Amino acid sequence: MAAPATTEAFSLSYSMFSLLLILFACVELGDAASAVHVYRLIQYDLGGVPLGSRISHLNHHAASLPLDPNADLSRSALLLPLLDLDLSFLTDYITNKKPLGGLVILLPQKLGNKFADFGKHVDLTRVKSVLNQLEDLLVHAELPYPVYFAYESSTFDSLLGDIRGKNFSSQPATSTNGGYKLVISTPEAKKLSPPTTSNFQGWLPGQKDGDSEQLPTIAIVASYDTFGAAPALSVGSDSNGSGVAALLEIARLFSRLYSNPKTRGKYNLLFGLTSGGPYNYNGTQKWLRSFDQRVIESIDYAICLNSVGSWENDLWMHVSKPPENVYIKEIYDGFSEVAQDMGFSINVKHKKINISNSRVAWEHEQFSRFRVTALTLSGLSAAPEFLQSTGNLHDTRKSADEKAVARTVKLVAESLARQIYEHKGKKLDIFADGSSLAVNVHHIQSWLDLLSRTPRVAPFLSKNNPFIAALKKELSDHTVDVHVQNEVLDGTFTFYDSTEATLNIYQVAGVTFDFLFLMVLGSYLIVLFSFLVITTRGLDDLINIFRRPAVRKSKST
Amino acid sequence: MTLFHFVNCALLTFGPHVVYYSATPLSEYDTMGTSIKAAVVYLVTALIKLVCLATFLKVPENEGFDPYQEVMKVLIGLVDVAGLYFALTQLTHRNISQNHKFQAVGLGWAFADSVLHRLAPLWIGARGLEFTWEYIFQGLEANANLVMTLSLAALGSLMWLRKNKPKTLVPIIYACAFLLATMPSITSYLRKALEWQTREVVGFEIFSSLVMAFFSWQLFSACQRPL
Repeated sequence: MAAPATTEAFSLSYSMFSLLLILFACVELGDAASAVHVYRLIQYDLGGVPLGSRISHLNHHAASLPLDPNADLSRSALLLPLLDLDLSFLTDYITNKKPLGGLVILLPQKLGNKFADFGKHVDLTRVKSVLNQLEDLLVHAELPYPVYFAYESSTFDSLLGDIRGKNFSSQPATSTNGGYKLVISTPEAKKLSPPTTSNFQGWLPGQKDGDSEQLPTIAIVASYDTFGAAPALSVGSDSNGSGVAALLEIARLFSRLYSNPKTRGKYNLLFGLTSGGPYNYNGTQKWLRSFDQRVIESIDYAICLNSVGSWENDLWMHVSKPPENVYIKEIYDGFSEVAQDMGFSINVKHKKINISNSRVAWEHEQFSRFRVTALTLSGLSAAPEFLQSTGNLHDTRKSADEKAVARTVKLVAESLARQIYEHKGKKLDIFADGSSLAVNVHHIQSWLDLLSRTPRVAPFLSKNNPFIAALKKELSDHTVDVHVQNEVLDGTFTFYDSTEATLNIYQVAGVTFDFLFLMVLGSYLIVLFSFLVITTRGLDDLINIFRRPAVRKSKST
Repeated sequence: MTLFHFVNCALLTFGPHVVYYSATPLSEYDTMGTSIKAAVVYLVTALIKLVCLATFLKVPENEGFDPYQEVMKVLIGLVDVAGLYFALTQLTHRNISQNHKFQAVGLGWAFADSVLHRLAPLWIGARGLEFTWEYIFQGLEANANLVMTLSLAALGSLMWLRKNKPKTLVPIIYACAFLLATMPSITSYLRKALEWQTREVVGFEIFSSLVMAFFSWQLFSACQRPL
């Protein structure tokens, strides 16, 4: 009697043991869930055309390259590290509108503010070119799935290693065979009301010689807001944080000169910090429109500063009037004199304005449309395309050099001073290093640091932001008649909120595992039951439990 | 799907108790009342232990193994034994044989232990999206705990309810009982001082519970034989 029971028990336990082995092979021991801060791709409508990432919540299994070419990714979130990015693969997916569950792009740590000193060494020029192409692709396409940016970390490294190891079975993880699940639970992005942009202006009035004739004005302008693929990361240190820092330093230097009536020049100086730069300098246009016609006519010329933090030996002067124009020539001669003394060269580039084309590539073009002579000083040699070079992902603190900004400041300040105080052609060094009027590199540096920490995309920068207050205070410290003009941005752009979120990474086991486990558990409980019945009541009782209905049936017939 | 995992783990943790009750003659003799009374005694014992622990133990500064604290925990663990003694001897049971009495008491005790220590973490943790082996290990621990409690109850009934025992076996009985009573301290020593992983500790618990059950069974049947 005992022998068949033991062999039965043995075979049962053997099958259970093999089932357990399969169970253990399916799922590895994993870490607990992790949460990572991620930044969303911008979502906006341009003239009614929806662009950018249209969905903000994510709840899919993680997948990564290399992939099976026929793999269906409509229910997977693709994790792409930037350095291994295969741009042709992504372009193919986007242009052919193939379905994708989600996209998470991992940026090298060197680009972030927090990790810039600790990140792995990367080739920043290569990163810059890949990022530019990627941003171009993403910002101008409509993506009906969530797209997020995150910084690389050890969490992602181990996650990618795990996923790639599983890829050799050539099956992306699904809900049946487990894997990692990426979950971002944010509500759907809502349309934002048209953003208010703030234009700042400050005056340094010149010394009138008693007669009431209006003094000529020289304007120095820079736009301070940005636009980029990830609005929460769009700090635009070079474009145009460098311009803002340069303008503030020039304002500081001239306010020292103008505070003493003996050294006050015979020109008014107008400083303008405009918003709406990436949107065809819409803010500058509104700012100029708000002026009285007499003020506009009194402006001799305007110097616009754009991306002056990344040049070495060549600075570009972009104009819309031909270089042969007498005013342009005069200004250029003044600049090149100082540039020669300082040891670099300044080049003129002429770009005609096309009135029918609404594209405004440089800020000075808005001045030219109001018939004011204007130029833009920039480290960029070519006019940027629409929504390009306006605070991209690669444009972080390291891409703006305070020494380049300082050189620009000295150039502009010297040239202006030589004209204002009528010392043209004389070899002078008014803002000499080491003098009380020296260009303060630390001032520039601290402003660049602040600008690199503040994302400044207009719809997400409210009027009450402390950064706006800081700009206003700085201008008020150095200039008078500080005026803030709040305008609503033109209607062609509509923005949506939700720029940051938390990504939760879970390791999941899959339904297969749960079913297998249930089988094992069921057989264990049955074995336990049988064992207990046999040992306490005897084998006959066990058999009787199963035979009872049959016995009854035979009794009834 | 994770509710599925919760159901699985709950089955693993509480299933054996139910199976034990229904498979053995306990269900025929309707010893549910005894089990419930034992569960209540466990509850009271747990409360007393909590108060003692709060009064006498210090909050540990580091995670290491502090022998004095562990000795204190062992002493408080003996409160457990006292509770079991109370449940076995002092409660009035209906006419059920000694054999079944210790099983019913042990079952009720282990079930209350599982519910109090394992139900809440299971409900809160196993329903989440993240998969861990933790709750499966917890269920296996509950199984080992059931076996150990039954063994302890058997030895307890031998010690306190049976009057005539062979003299040679008495010290062995007491030794086994002491070993069982201090089992929690042994596992915490393994976990903290020797830094075993959870699966190793659970494996040890299962193995030791089976070994102790075997010994208790042998001792029990040895005492059954008429002298």
